[in-house]
Amino acid sequence: MPRRRTATAAQGGMATPWLAGRPDEPGASALPTLLVRRHLRSGQRVHYQGNVVVLGDVNPGAEIVATGDIVVMGVLRGLAHAGAAGDSTRVVAAFRLEATQLRIASYITRAPEGDRPPDVPEVAQVRAGQVVLDHLTQLDEDR
Amino acid sequence: MGEAIVITSGKGGVGKTTTTANLGAALANMGHRVVLVDADIGLRNLDVVMGLENRIVYDLVDVVEGFAKLKPALIKDKRFDNLYLLPAAQTRDKNAVSPEQMRQLVGDLKEEFDWVIIDCPAGIEQGFRNAVAGADRAVVVATPEVSSVRDADRIVGLLEAHEIEKPLLLVNRLRPAMVKRGEMMDIDDIIEILAIELLGVVPEDEGIVMSSNRGEPAVLSDRSKAGEAYRNIARRLAGEEVPVLAVAEDGLFTRLRRLMGWSG
Repeated sequence: MPRRRTATAAQGGMATPWLAGRPDEPGASALPTLLVRRHLRSGQRVHYQGNVVVLGDVNPGAEIVATGDIVVMGVLRGLAHAGAAGDSTRVVAAFRLEATQLRIASYITRAPEGDRPPDVPEVAQVRAGQVVLDHLTQLDEDR
Repeated sequence: MGEAIVITSGKGGVGKTTTTANLGAALANMGHRVVLVDADIGLRNLDVVMGLENRIVYDLVDVVEGFAKLKPALIKDKRFDNLYLLPAAQTRDKNAVSPEQMRQLVGDLKEEFDWVIIDCPAGIEQGFRNAVAGADRAVVVATPEVSSVRDADRIVGLLEAHEIEKPLLLVNRLRPAMVKRGEMMDIDDIIEILAIELLGVVPEDEGIVMSSNRGEPAVLSDRSKAGEAYRNIARRLAGEEVPVLAVAEDGLFTRLRRLMGWSG
């Protein structure tokens, strides 16, 4: 189901009746999604009403601010702010999450000094009023 | 029709002017017709490093403003008949020239020379925009320091915005002994962040200070490690396949070759 939705978007969102409407799978997001197909370098920024997916790295000094979720299919070293309009159920996921600071809604966290990020995909989400980093498989899907 | 290459970095003091002088002298030594353009208007240095300061009559701004013709403003090098310098103005600033004027100027120089090498000022403002305006390619100079790599990353992004794709990386002032002790970023770390092709590595060399002060590019000395690295880089720029200089401290540079994709 999600794969088909992406395909229609790429073709300009043609009104194909059997693809229209809201996603019916739990955990699927109907927000518009921006796909960035390159590295984001220092000084470059992406601000978007919706989700942002980056096919590349986000380097230190680069900035992504999204009202929805942020997914980085590379190394996230720069600043990412998910749920920027106040939605604390939003998440930041990255193939390698090495950001020195993360923001979700009004929560701001920084990596502890001397922290060595693990070599696995991770997701950052708010649990009990705290931004928690977890292995990507530990994503709370049902919210 | 020649090729225009801008030598840039964002951060100051990482070796743009030294790189410009040495690559220019090395390419000239290989028989190419080369002109060096000092785009650092108001803070000119390239003439000093080339030892040509006392020969300046006209400068880049004189040419752009039509006060001087291009040919008489070009200073012929002392050592090579096929190496010229267009010096920057010292009494003006970056706003004395526009990107459009630079494009025109560099275009004219490309008619006459095989290589137009442009020494870019530090920073990302008007001076940078002028320096990259006429360039076909870019060499980004970075030292193995976090701040330098950060600025180089910003520059690569700005070069893309100016439609200069695929810039080449030159890592300057590497100290293999420090890298080995884990006290300095190594080449892998730098390439992992910048994700651009490596053109070459120049080791730290105290002789560079002396050669700059004397106005004698290090490539002219057989004894200089940095000079040897610059000679190899010039050959790579010209399309030859040259392995990266093995600056001792084994292990480091064997890995490099694979990263660069040059069979060596």
